[in-house]
Amino acid sequence: MGMTAVEKILALKGGCASVRPGDVVEPNPDMIMIHDNVVLGAKQELDSIGIDRIAAPDKVIMVSDHEVLYGSLNAARMGTFNRAAAAQWGVKQFYDVGRGGHGHLFPMERGLVLPGMMYFDNDRHSTNAGAIGAFGLRMGAEISRVLATGTNWVIVPPSIKIELTGTPGFGVYPRDIGFYLAKQFAPGGMFECDLDYVAIEFSGATDQFPLSARIALCSSPTEMGAYGTYFPPSAAILDYSRERAMRDFTPVYPDEDAKYDACVSIDLSAIEPQVVRPGHVSRAIDVSEVAGTRVDHAFVGSCASGTWDDMVVTAEVLRGKRIAPHVRMFIAPGTEDTNKRVLREGLMEVFIEAGAVMLPAGCGPCNEGVVGPLDGGEVSISTATANLPGKFGNKDAKLFLGSPATVAASAIAGKIVDARSGHG
Amino acid sequence: MSDNIWVMRGRCHKFGDNVPHGGGIVPGWILARRVVEADKIIPHLFEDIAPGFDSRCKPGDIIIAGKNFGMSPKMNGFVAMHALGLGLLCESMPFLAYRAAVGVGLRIMSRCEGITSICETGDDVEINYRTGLFINHTRNIEREFPPIPETLRELIELGGNTGWLKRWWATKNSTGAPAEDTAPSS
Repeated sequence: MGMTAVEKILALKGGCASVRPGDVVEPNPDMIMIHDNVVLGAKQELDSIGIDRIAAPDKVIMVSDHEVLYGSLNAARMGTFNRAAAAQWGVKQFYDVGRGGHGHLFPMERGLVLPGMMYFDNDRHSTNAGAIGAFGLRMGAEISRVLATGTNWVIVPPSIKIELTGTPGFGVYPRDIGFYLAKQFAPGGMFECDLDYVAIEFSGATDQFPLSARIALCSSPTEMGAYGTYFPPSAAILDYSRERAMRDFTPVYPDEDAKYDACVSIDLSAIEPQVVRPGHVSRAIDVSEVAGTRVDHAFVGSCASGTWDDMVVTAEVLRGKRIAPHVRMFIAPGTEDTNKRVLREGLMEVFIEAGAVMLPAGCGPCNEGVVGPLDGGEVSISTATANLPGKFGNKDAKLFLGSPATVAASAIAGKIVDARSGHG
Repeated sequence: MSDNIWVMRGRCHKFGDNVPHGGGIVPGWILARRVVEADKIIPHLFEDIAPGFDSRCKPGDIIIAGKNFGMSPKMNGFVAMHALGLGLLCESMPFLAYRAAVGVGLRIMSRCEGITSICETGDDVEINYRTGLFINHTRNIEREFPPIPETLRELIELGGNTGWLKRWWATKNSTGAPAEDTAPSS
């Protein structure tokens, strides 16, 4: 019996000839990632035990992406703590404020996360690694055990295969497809099925998608509970990876006789632009059904929509326009490299002239609203990863999700609109 | 540790389906500010949906919840529950939330289908985490649910991730050799 791509990666890194869902492995990771808000808890835990060194400092990447602006003295103190922790642990790959950007984006751009790799991460959005054909495993607070010992126990997840067919229509973006997919897996959807702790493997017509689209498509399954995502690296993705690889890599592909818990197929040409209604990422609906809803707040960014391609789409809509007087709009390019290109290629001017506020590379409001939060009763449309009540601060705010094009067009109109209609 | 850590008897505190971690188990700001210290979280446990919870509960009491408890893999509220000596039984929860709860040493069973239909807040309830036997003494009802798997009992018995690491570090230093599951550096 063959293995899925995720099973093959876990078998390889776990030192096993093969693995099956439910097996427990302790994989030897290629990398260990920890972000700014979690270093404090992990360090204090290890210090309290007397563990004064970590197993593999050369594998560790520390990232300051969750609270970049230090909006409080507490955040500034945490920054000081993190710098001291990096020095004491001997972590040389410390991408502090203004150095890398979002930890689930820049490592792919800089050839640190590559096809076939496996790494541990404290954060669940490590699933973004699936966009390039790698596997990032979320450990939460247990990242301390990974830091101390170099590994942790992992139960091999079951896999579901999603076959993509056709091509998306005009004005339909990867986030629209992701929102639509989430709805179909939710109760009442075409593929109703619990994705909790499932690995999602995309197949079929995937070669049409660049890295940015793959990243966007990894987001919604993650919010539905998926533990991993995987795209088979195309020739273009392999070229992209080779151009910037900081280490050797070997892509991994699923066996032809791999066993999946379920296989579903989705026709991309049948999907309309989607807007997710407040409450949960699965509450997607055609944009026409909520068009006209007044918005106060708009945000483009997050680990799902912070790539260069997302900035281009946003700029195309905003170019020469002004956002509505009652709307405040925030744009957070995902990485420092994207930020530089936004400036170099004139997109910054487009955004500023439109009246948007630029945020530094990182999570933006998507990190529990530590910047750009909403008041109770306000309405937001954004490209955030999720829209549970309270995600942007006040739990009485209403959070809609849309593609970068829908968000930008809605910010201009001051209400939710279909970006294809020209309101943008 | 004695065997009776696996048997718990106390009052039931019942919650429904889809209780979010932020805005349900703890206020959202506990997550936003990454508060992980038990003493700081305890006064705010269930504050948004059951104000005053911390003053009503006692060690041995059992939180009984419906489906999809926590709705996310956050762990902050579980730290407070563990420190208060509470147990948790729910109909379902995300696997990563379950893992996070086990990681802080909380005694927990997450696949207790139908449990919310056989108890109410205030009932005198008992659970054996080894066998899965649940008894509602107030209503004279007994049910069996999937117990804590044997492979996870050691982790919980040690007090979760921190306790496991304490033992690992002590073993490593006493033998002078790398502990068993240390992965080699690249």
